[in-house]
Formats: sequence, structure tokens, C-alpha cells
Amino acid sequence: MSFAANRGAWQFRERSSLAREFVWAGAFVIVVTALALAIEHFTGYLAIALLYLLLVVAAGLRLSWVPVLSLAAVSGFVWNFFFIPPRFTLYIRSVEDAMMFATFFIVAIAMGHLTTRLSRSQSLEKQRERRAAALYELAHQAAFAPELDAGLRAAVAHIESIVDAQAALVLRLPDHVLDKTVHPASSFALSEKEHSVAAWAFSRRAPAGRFTDTLPDAAALYLPLQARTAVMGVLCIRPPKDRALDLSERELLEAFAVLIGLLLEKDHIAAAIQRAEILEASERLRRGILDSVSHELKTPLAAVQTGLAALEQQSRNYPAQMETVGEIKFATRRLNRVISNLLEMARIEAGVVQPKLDWCDIDEVVDGAMALAADALSRHPVAVDVKQNLPMTKIDHLVIEQSLANLLANAANWSEAGKTIAVSADISDGAVQIIVSDRGPGIPQEELPHVFEKFFRGAKAPAGGTGLGLSIVDGFIRAHGGRVHAANRPGGGAEFTIRVPVEVLSEKNMELAD
Amino acid sequence: LNDKATAIVIDDEGQIRKLLRVVLEEHGYDVVEAETGKSGLTEIATRRPDVVLLDLGLPDMDGIEILKRLREWSQVPVLILSVRETAEPKVAALDAGADDYVTKPFDATELLARLRAIQRRGQEGEANAYFQTGNLAIDFSGHIVTVNGNQVKLTATEYALLRVLALNAGKVVTHSHLLREVWGPNATEQSQYLRVYVNHLRKKIELPRSKQKLLKTESGIGYRLVPADAK
Repeated sequence: MSFAANRGAWQFRERSSLAREFVWAGAFVIVVTALALAIEHFTGYLAIALLYLLLVVAAGLRLSWVPVLSLAAVSGFVWNFFFIPPRFTLYIRSVEDAMMFATFFIVAIAMGHLTTRLSRSQSLEKQRERRAAALYELAHQAAFAPELDAGLRAAVAHIESIVDAQAALVLRLPDHVLDKTVHPASSFALSEKEHSVAAWAFSRRAPAGRFTDTLPDAAALYLPLQARTAVMGVLCIRPPKDRALDLSERELLEAFAVLIGLLLEKDHIAAAIQRAEILEASERLRRGILDSVSHELKTPLAAVQTGLAALEQQSRNYPAQMETVGEIKFATRRLNRVISNLLEMARIEAGVVQPKLDWCDIDEVVDGAMALAADALSRHPVAVDVKQNLPMTKIDHLVIEQSLANLLANAANWSEAGKTIAVSADISDGAVQIIVSDRGPGIPQEELPHVFEKFFRGAKAPAGGTGLGLSIVDGFIRAHGGRVHAANRPGGGAEFTIRVPVEVLSEKNMELAD
Repeated sequence: LNDKATAIVIDDEGQIRKLLRVVLEEHGYDVVEAETGKSGLTEIATRRPDVVLLDLGLPDMDGIEILKRLREWSQVPVLILSVRETAEPKVAALDAGADDYVTKPFDATELLARLRAIQRRGQEGEANAYFQTGNLAIDFSGHIVTVNGNQVKLTATEYALLRVLALNAGKVVTHSHLLREVWGPNATEQSQYLRVYVNHLRKKIELPRSKQKLLKTESGIGYRLVPADAK
């Protein structure tokens, strides 16, 4: 960041006011000398020195130190020339006069120095106070405004009243790029060229435009609204053409920019927190409803199953009753499956399926899925081909297992009894790939795009089933960041492929002390 | 079981309590019912049951809270009855001191097998120096493991793992429990160790092509050594 251009302007102002001070100092010397000539007759020439001393002290309170010291020197020589005998020469005859002259010089210089230092620190203090008041005022108006727009409007009005310039704001949009147009609170709009200067200040996080080294030909000064973590936008300041900004004004504006940036950031964070809270509350609600529905459906089922177990025990010696109990048991299991499917679909729809990743062995997942689908698979041989010594992968065991079980059950339901169902699993390119294939009738071409749709059932679907099994697979696998794909096999039958990207455990990390 | 064993059923659903009573009485248990967590704890304190069946979703008290209080003064075996499919509540209950779980709607045969397993553990304690199931035999005093009479060489870690599972035969052992017992208290997050060693162990003690798996994976929860006589 360089403010060289601005500092030049500041120095120029300094120089012009310095010349003015010299003029004033000269005028004072003339006035005091005239006065001294008038009263010298009554007071004697020594008292005149006190008059000049008084002038130096008074000047020290108002003027800066170079004019004051010059004033002290000039006064000394004027006193010597006009008043110390012999008059109208710079020659000093008596030792007392020489001592008096030297003392005058030392006292004048010391007084001038002390008083200017005092007045300078006083004016700095005043400046600091003004600045703090201005910042406080801005913070108060902007931060306590009932809404952000009103706060920004107050901030812009405040800045304009303090620096006598037009102000505008260009804010960052939610997607982290700079808005094309100025905020409604602004008092002027930006041309395309001016906007590009603002964009420079935004992306480089540095001041740009007028009074800076970067694009100083621009009409306005552009200060980034730098907050704690990001630039929230740009503050644009356009003073009248002939007006320059001094250093303290510049510093004040930069402080304003930071303040507005922090204000915007606070608002941004508060909005984000609110959004997250709403999201969480609605998810909790959905989870709660699902839990209670699940409880209400499964409790009576548990009662039926437990009752059947008791009945089975009691009718051991009555074959006719045993057969009835067996039928009820079968129907209950089917009802259980349907309810589980509906609940799982509801969980997917509610968006509460969140995979919990942990290290798993694909072998175990396949075994678990076969156990889950054991009922459906009872009349089919299953050919399992899981690559030997596959590394561990980070997956949600339950989600993948249930998906695979659904695919196995689907394959079994569509195949004639005795036909082999094949499962294979492998890891390649950072993804687990599991394929389930059958020798059933395959999937008609026109049904292929629809097999994963909710409640979709093939035209020749066997009785029973809800049309949810495959859509659950699709929902689960998507929730896990993967895809499931359906195809027909050459030679007949259908083939379903699950592909899930995973983190793979390298064997090197697993060398443990035994 | 010379005398009749006493079971306490703590569940707020009256129908489930009644049916569990019928099934359990059929299999030789004395059954006491409790409707709330509070009355359940009182019943356990006064009746000194042999086994407790606890529903996790009681209206008056959180199931985990009941387990924590119970474990302050009693080691009675506890079987959890849960309706939730997800693993977390079960793991939490097991880590809080429950011995095993069944998910509603449960299978009665499975329920009875679980009850037998956790009761057996309650009676035997850890005093037994010898363990056998099916082809597998373990001599705890000599650290000797045999399959079909042939000695199997296990590493120290594999043996420690098998020992914990065998001492809890028939009962699920959570990942964190196994990691703590075998690798120490600092390893409870390193579940990949466990998977790898269970794999090694399976290759050494399970017969190839055997339909019956000795070490059963309980997805998301832990492992269970299934004794040959159960199922």
C-alpha cells in the first residue's frame, strides 16, 4: 500500500499554511516594534526585551516551531538594532547588554520550543478525540440500526457529513463476488470503469483510485471493507474535484471501512447461524416424527411376533395349529419387511440418512447382506466372488449392507428357483464396486430408466413387494456419495452395479506392534 | 439352573410385557413386570433377579440413565429391547453396562438364546480356565488354542482378542470394549486395528468353507463369538 500521491497533497497544504504563518510572524514583529518605539521613552530599552519575549511566547501558542524560532531570532536582532545602544548598529557595548541579549535568545528559543510542543500535542489530542467520536458515532448508528440497510444508510450519511464528500458502498454478494451495482444507501453510482477500480481494491484487499498509487486518475477513492476473515465490499469516497483529503481524514476513512466491514461480517455470520439453526430444527422434527412412527409400527409387530412364539410353543402337539402359526409367521415377516422398507424410504426422503463412516471389510459387508436377505435367497445358490485380501475401506457398513441385501433379494425374487445369483466385489480407482447379477428375465429396455423410481414395479413383477427395494438402494447409495446402475447381461439376466468412492486403508499404516 | 430363574421385564408397553411373560414362563422363568424405570429399579433391588429385560424408550427415564444407576450397585445381566435400527443407541447402552440387545420386532428363539448367554456369563464369572465350543478349544492357563485338536499359533494381540471374545461367548462385545481390553485405554478410536486383527484371527481359527461363522460381525456395534450350541 502506498499513499505517496496523497502525502504529496498533504505536504502542499502544509507548505501553504507555513507561508501564511511567516507572514503573520512578520506582521507581529512590525506591530510590536512600532509599539516599542512608542513606549521606549518611558520604560527604557531593557523592558522592551520583555515585550518581544511576550510576543515569542504568544506566537509559540499559535504557530509551528520554524516560524516561532525565526520570530525569536528576528525579534532579537530588531531589539539589538533599534534599541540597544549604540542604536542602529548590531554592535553591543556593555557586558550587561551582551548578557541580556544572550539570555533573551536562550529564553525565547526555549519558550518557543516548549509552547509549540504543548500546542501540537493539544491539537493531536483534539484530533484523536474527534476521530474517536466519529468512529463511535458511526458504530452506534450503524450497529444498532434495526436492520442492516438502515445501518448502512446511516453510515454513508455520517461519512459524508464528516469528510465533505460523496460516499457509496459496493457489497460482496453471497457467492463471494463483488456486486455489479452500488448498495441503495449510496449517493452516487459507479461507471463501468470506476467499478473496475473498486473490483481491484476488493480483490487485492488494498486501497485504489484517487489519492493512491493504483489508478490515481479514478474519480473516487476505493477502500476495501476488510473484516476479520474476508473483504465484505468496497467503500467509495468521491470528494469535490479541487478538494484533497488530508492524512487524518484518510486514516479516519480507513477506520470507517474496517468498521463497516466488521458490521457486514457480523450480519453475515448471524444470518448463517440462523439458517443452520432452522435447518437443524426441521431435521430434528423430521427425525422425531420418524422415530415415533417407527415405534408405533414396530411395537405391535413385536407383540405379534412374541405372541406367535408363545403360540408355537403351546401348539407343539397340534400339527394343524402349527401349520396356521407358520402361515401367520410368514405373513408377519413379510409385513415387517414392507414396514421396514417404507420407513427406510421415509428416512431417505426426509434427508436424515447420513452415512457414518468407519473402517470395514467388504467381505463382512457381503456376508452381512447375505444374512439379511437369507429368506429370499433360500432357494438360490449364491456365487460369491470377493477379491482376496482387499484393503479396509471407510464406509457405512449398515447402509452398504442394506443396499446390497435389497439387490440380492431383488435378484432372488426375479429368478427361478435354483438359478445362481452372483455377487462380486472389488476396489479400484478409490472406489468400491459391488456387482449383483442374476439369470432372470432381465429388464425390458423401456423399463431400464425407471427401475430406481419410487413405487415403480416391472410389468411382469412377481406378486408381493412394494416397488421400494431398488429406490432405497438408490437413495442409500446416493447418500453415501455413490451411484447404482442397472443393465442387462449378455446371455440373459439383470446386473446391478454399486460404485461408491471410498478412503482405502493402506497396509503400510497397519504395521502394528504385536 | 436348579431353581426357577427370575426375569424382570421393564417396558411401558403392556402388551409386550404380557407376551414376554407368556414366552418366558413357558421356558421356565419367574417373571416380574415393571412399567417405569423407577419401579423397575425398585423391583431389581428387592427381587434380586437373575436377568433383566430393559426397553430403551421408557417415558419416565432414559435407558442409559437407568443402566448407569443400576451398575452402581448391581451386576445383574441386562438385555436391551430396542426399536431403533441405528447402532448408536445400542452401543451407548452396551457401553453403559448392558450385556446384549435384541431389536424389536425380535425373534423369540433369538431372545431366549441371548438370555441364556448373558445369564451363563453372570454365573461363571471369569474363573474358568478352559473354554470349548465346536472345533475350538482354549486353555487360558497355558495360552493354548487348538482347532480340531491341532494347536494354532496366535500372536499376543490375536490371543488377547480371542480371550476377550471367548470370556463373553454368545454376547456382543463393542468395538470400544475390545480396543480398551486389548490395546489399552488410548486406542478406543483406532477401529481399523480391530478389523485387521479380527480378520487375521478368523483365518486362523475358522475352518475354511465352513457355513457357520464363529466370529460374527454386529454391524456398527462390535463382534460376537457364537458358541456352536446356540443355533
